[in-house]
Amino acid sequence: MSDKPHMPGLEAPPGFPATVPYRVGGMVLGMFDALREFQRVLRGTIRYSIWGKRPKGEVLNQMYQVGNRSLLFVCVTLGCLGMVLVYQILLQVNKITGDTSQVGAEFIKGMVHAFVPSLTAMMIATRVGAGIAAEIGSMMVTEQVDALRMCGVEPIEYLIAPRFIAALFMTVVLTIIALAIAVGAGALMAWGSFGVNPTVFLSFDKVTIGDMVTGITKAVCFGAAIPVVSGYCGLTTRGGSEGVGSATTRAVINSSLAVIVLDFILSALAYFFLQSRGL
Amino acid sequence: MARFLRAVSNPIAAVGESVIDMATHLGAVVTLLLRVIRSLFPPRFDMPEFWRNLYKMGNQSVPIVMLTAFFVGGIMVVQSAVFVKRFQATSLLGWGAGYSVLREVGPILIGLMFSGRVGSNNTAELGTMVVTEQIDGLRALSIDPMRYLIVPRVLAMVIMLFLLTVLGDLVALFGAMLFGNLIIGLEFGVFYSGLVNSIGIGDLMHGLIKSLTFGLIIALTSCHFGLNVRGGAVGVGRSVNAAVVGSALGIVMSDYFLTFLLT
Repeated sequence: MSDKPHMPGLEAPPGFPATVPYRVGGMVLGMFDALREFQRVLRGTIRYSIWGKRPKGEVLNQMYQVGNRSLLFVCVTLGCLGMVLVYQILLQVNKITGDTSQVGAEFIKGMVHAFVPSLTAMMIATRVGAGIAAEIGSMMVTEQVDALRMCGVEPIEYLIAPRFIAALFMTVVLTIIALAIAVGAGALMAWGSFGVNPTVFLSFDKVTIGDMVTGITKAVCFGAAIPVVSGYCGLTTRGGSEGVGSATTRAVINSSLAVIVLDFILSALAYFFLQSRGL
Repeated sequence: MARFLRAVSNPIAAVGESVIDMATHLGAVVTLLLRVIRSLFPPRFDMPEFWRNLYKMGNQSVPIVMLTAFFVGGIMVVQSAVFVKRFQATSLLGWGAGYSVLREVGPILIGLMFSGRVGSNNTAELGTMVVTEQIDGLRALSIDPMRYLIVPRVLAMVIMLFLLTVLGDLVALFGAMLFGNLIIGLEFGVFYSGLVNSIGIGDLMHGLIKSLTFGLIIALTSCHFGLNVRGGAVGVGRSVNAAVVGSALGIVMSDYFLTFLLT
């Protein structure tokens, strides 16, 4: 997952056995190096998103790239997942109690605060994260980023900040659309395969303010994490076409992992601070 | 922006374009599958390459799969914690976690991580070979790229995703058990008996058959996009992106059909 630490003067001397402490030390140093670089990108992104200059229309263009062009992909995947989830749940409920009147309400509640934000973000991490890393990585190996620096333009300000703003906004939008698609597809599945009436299934009584706050917070956090992580992966590209490939790979893996870990943390926080108080 | 303007001015053409695009890739993937099957009779493929790929794709993905699975188990527990508390139905946690992890969440999320790590790596590697004309070099030496490169990779990915899903399911259930104890204060024994009493071999098989299919889809998609790279480093990046997106679509859509076929 992580590259070898790039530190001149710290290579093993010839004949030096690759001992465990040497390797562990290299790993730790590499990790600190990566962390320092990552927090530089993160801080730069936040600063330039607020105060930076951007080419006119760049944010709109990125919104189109991030949002509109992911729309079909997100809708198809989330629609399928919504149907599958409803099918599996109803299969079990039919086997155990046979009372399908409560399934819709609980399903929608779970979709709002848990499944749709994280699954949509996984899909966006795949589609958009890989795209950002591939684009910036290609610019790195063709020395376009160096050209930007020579013109006195900070690459984080010019390349990452517009993508960050666009992804932040568009993840929330896509999550809401995906929620509608997933719930609708689930209702169709419940109606078609199990004869649950959509008017019974589509009940939003169980959805509380806390659920909505949790879902939106998750979408915002994922939308912030994906472009920063993949932009960092793109900016650390080295080497030719091989480097671009590995940067894209790292972007997909690291942003998906970021989504999963953030989802866990945010779910735990929501459980302790919102749900256990009945919100 | 040009594409945006075209999509606005002529939506039908834009939709048709993407449908034709998808059909082209689907047809190419199916053709690749047939060629892989053809190359398996007689089974003459490069053994050292096969072993190398098994190690690279399987063993080196173990940490990422375990990390993902551990957190997935935790997430399943945190999400169901409210129900468990409300109904005092602690014995249901083992059943719920086992059912969802083994049948759906485990195979899908491990498949997605596998496609991100191994599938896209494979596309990048094959793509680099294409743009540096190494594949033409193989052909010039009269080595069949199918038997030397593609078949070992496809086999290795199918086998290794299957094995990693077994491992990931186990780790996810351990994660669920651990977080169930930490967050809800559920005894390990209660979780275990809930799991063992209600989850059968059928649930495990359901997920494992899915993971075999996902492995095949990831392998074929990534090889197809890798072999069809055009245009240097930029093309490699674009192909890797297309490969992950295609794999994710394939995983989710095949999951939909498999769920019906398997019940």
